[in-house]
Amino acid sequence: MVEIKDKASEIIDLASELRWQVGDDFHDRLTEGIYADAATITERVEQKPDRKISYSFDRALDKILTSGTFGFPIMILVLAVILWITIQGANYPSGALAVLLLDIVYPFLKDISSNLGIYWWIDGLLIDGVYMAVAWVIAVMLPPMAIFFPLFTLLEDFGYLPRVAFNLDSLFKRAGAHGKQALTMSMGWGCNAAGVVATRIIDSPRERLIAIITNNFSLCNGRWPTQILIATIFIGALVPSGLANLTASLSVITIAMLGVFFTFFSSWVLSKTMLKGEVSTFTLELPPYRPPRFWKTIYTSIIDRTLIVLWRAIVFAAPAGAIIWLISNIDVGDVSIANLAISSFDGFGVLLGLNGVILLAYIVAIPANEIVIPTILMLTVSNLAITGVGAGEGVMFELDSSSETAEILKAGGWTVLTGINLMLFSLLHNPCSTTIYTIYQETKSWKWTSVASILPVIMGFVVTFLVAQVWRLIAGV
Amino acid sequence: MTPDPGIALIVFFILVFVGVLLWKIIKSPFLLQNIKQSKKALVEDILKQLYHVEYSGRTASLNAMAGALKLSDRKIVRLVEDMSSHDLLKLDQDILQLTSSGRDYALKIIRVHRLWEKYLSERTGFDKSEWHDRAEQKEHTLTEEQAEQLYHDLGNPRFDPHGDPIPTEAGEIIETHWKSLSSLSENTVARIVHLEDEPEVIYQQIVAEKLHIGSQVKIIASDNHEVKFFSEGEEYRFSPIVASNISVKELTAQEKYEEDVVRLSSLDPGEKAIILGISSECRGASRRRLLDLGFIAGSSIETEFASPSKEPKAYSIRNTIIALRGDQADLILIKKVNE
Repeated sequence: MVEIKDKASEIIDLASELRWQVGDDFHDRLTEGIYADAATITERVEQKPDRKISYSFDRALDKILTSGTFGFPIMILVLAVILWITIQGANYPSGALAVLLLDIVYPFLKDISSNLGIYWWIDGLLIDGVYMAVAWVIAVMLPPMAIFFPLFTLLEDFGYLPRVAFNLDSLFKRAGAHGKQALTMSMGWGCNAAGVVATRIIDSPRERLIAIITNNFSLCNGRWPTQILIATIFIGALVPSGLANLTASLSVITIAMLGVFFTFFSSWVLSKTMLKGEVSTFTLELPPYRPPRFWKTIYTSIIDRTLIVLWRAIVFAAPAGAIIWLISNIDVGDVSIANLAISSFDGFGVLLGLNGVILLAYIVAIPANEIVIPTILMLTVSNLAITGVGAGEGVMFELDSSSETAEILKAGGWTVLTGINLMLFSLLHNPCSTTIYTIYQETKSWKWTSVASILPVIMGFVVTFLVAQVWRLIAGV
Repeated sequence: MTPDPGIALIVFFILVFVGVLLWKIIKSPFLLQNIKQSKKALVEDILKQLYHVEYSGRTASLNAMAGALKLSDRKIVRLVEDMSSHDLLKLDQDILQLTSSGRDYALKIIRVHRLWEKYLSERTGFDKSEWHDRAEQKEHTLTEEQAEQLYHDLGNPRFDPHGDPIPTEAGEIIETHWKSLSSLSENTVARIVHLEDEPEVIYQQIVAEKLHIGSQVKIIASDNHEVKFFSEGEEYRFSPIVASNISVKELTAQEKYEEDVVRLSSLDPGEKAIILGISSECRGASRRRLLDLGFIAGSSIETEFASPSKEPKAYSIRNTIIALRGDQADLILIKKVNE
């Protein structure tokens, strides 16, 4: 027994002694040996189809798509076309859905409930609150997503998107990020929640977190209409009417580009501070080009991306609708909760060049950016007790012409500064609750979820505050 | 109603200033040192310093020790008295000497320091220039159990990322028979085994020159003013002071000096090569990722095209096109193939 023990410890000692001699990388050398053997065996038995022709075609295409001269222009052109098709193409189905859900189904539901004699507050809570918010989100959100995502997925399937990441990588590298963030960023222009899901393509932990946290700086579909409306009312009006449309469009593009700037800036800051210790690797595969599988792509992008995101948005929009209706209809003393909140937020709002209505609208509209403008209009009208517009307390509405909208907003004390700062704040505020939930799902970390939610709001406060003070100093108001 | 913009701005900037100031104070090395430089940390630093001095065959006086650790004379005298009463060291006519229990203690600290550097190199994304300082803090706080757990989790490593041996739990450590790069004569071939991370200025210079542990070197010329050598197809010129911080080991009979080894980054579009291996400086997740993709000794590789800004470059390997950044391509060693 003792002898065996001696022998064992002898062996252990010898092993320990030998470990010093084999050096540090013997694990690696072992692995490499196994890999190399496996590769030799495969080489011997693998039969490869002759793919010379498609291969040289791929390289020729790569030469053009990643060339110094054409690479960037082609990229910008493709992106511009996609965004244009999305914004223009979504107008008609959005309009049709709005007519169907808001002008036909809504009065129909109201009729039924009044015929049945349902209590006014049940009717109000469910139809004016919940139904209205859900209908709005579907009408504004569904069409652009159903156009944007399939287009994007087609490009992905074709193999173009990895080349974009390849072209832009050096730019992202300087911000401590991964080239593939270019893709998740553009995906964010469609929907931030989808953009966050798309960060799965980034296999490096640090760069993936950066992409997740900064995705909110991509101006999403739910915010484009707000930007366009406010730009038309406040910035387009500053120039002669012939130039109004152009100026308004340019200012919206400026905001989107500012979002890109903030993406890079906060990526850089994050990679230098909070995320410094996270593991970081880089590899980017450039798959062969192939004809996109059209119907499969349409199917998967509608099911996997559009409907899932839409469902989450509806789940979050429904309670938001209820809350919007409730705060406008429940009175404390003589004043509704909404009006109380507006007056208490007003001081801070005005300091930021915004106002109480906007801040309250952004709080109750956390579930969906789409309902910010209808909520602002409803709150403004009810706060000022304007009669003749809107459909009653707690019922969101939108007006057909932007000039009518402008009148209401100006009655609410809005100036050009309010408009500009609303555009800035619309870019720089917390992600919608669907995105926040998705961030949690993807990171499984409360820490990163709160950073991603709070960081943009703080930036929004600081930026709007500084703009407001500088504006007031210069304008002398 | 509207607050005065000037006052608002002033208040804002004062708040930002105060915020930054508070942050600086919390994070400042001064405050950190005051907290960290508890007696335990000081004792451990003295033991470690003394071990290094004795290991290199020199002796340490009380004054030199005070200077090296930036301590006042009074403080060091008090600490040394305390330590000798605990039988950690002896003071013999101004020469400090470790006792055997003092040496064991010192080795424990060195073990934790090097294990933590290994951990940082394998499991985190911290830059290599930060490993040393972070390990300097951590070595005083990690308990023995935590250190054992770490050792186990890391796969029982014997060397830290700089090439230094990690003492075993029993305090066993190998003698290293290294030479300094500056001591080699012309035409000698050797392998870099260690890059000294202190003083930091010199280490940063070596790191910036992209010299890697595990690389082979060949001395071209060496005199009192300059050491000129080849490594991985690049020519380097260092002053002897810098070169003496690079330790090398002459190649053994089994090791062959690879005359044509160059870095993947030097492979121009259209050129082909055979991969010889991945430098040992490529660690952790990055290394495994490259192995997964097939960057293995013996594979053939070809540079296909570069991105508009020259980086990354696309390489074709095993029928796939993989793009790598320049700093990664620097760590892959190849041999060019002429057709």
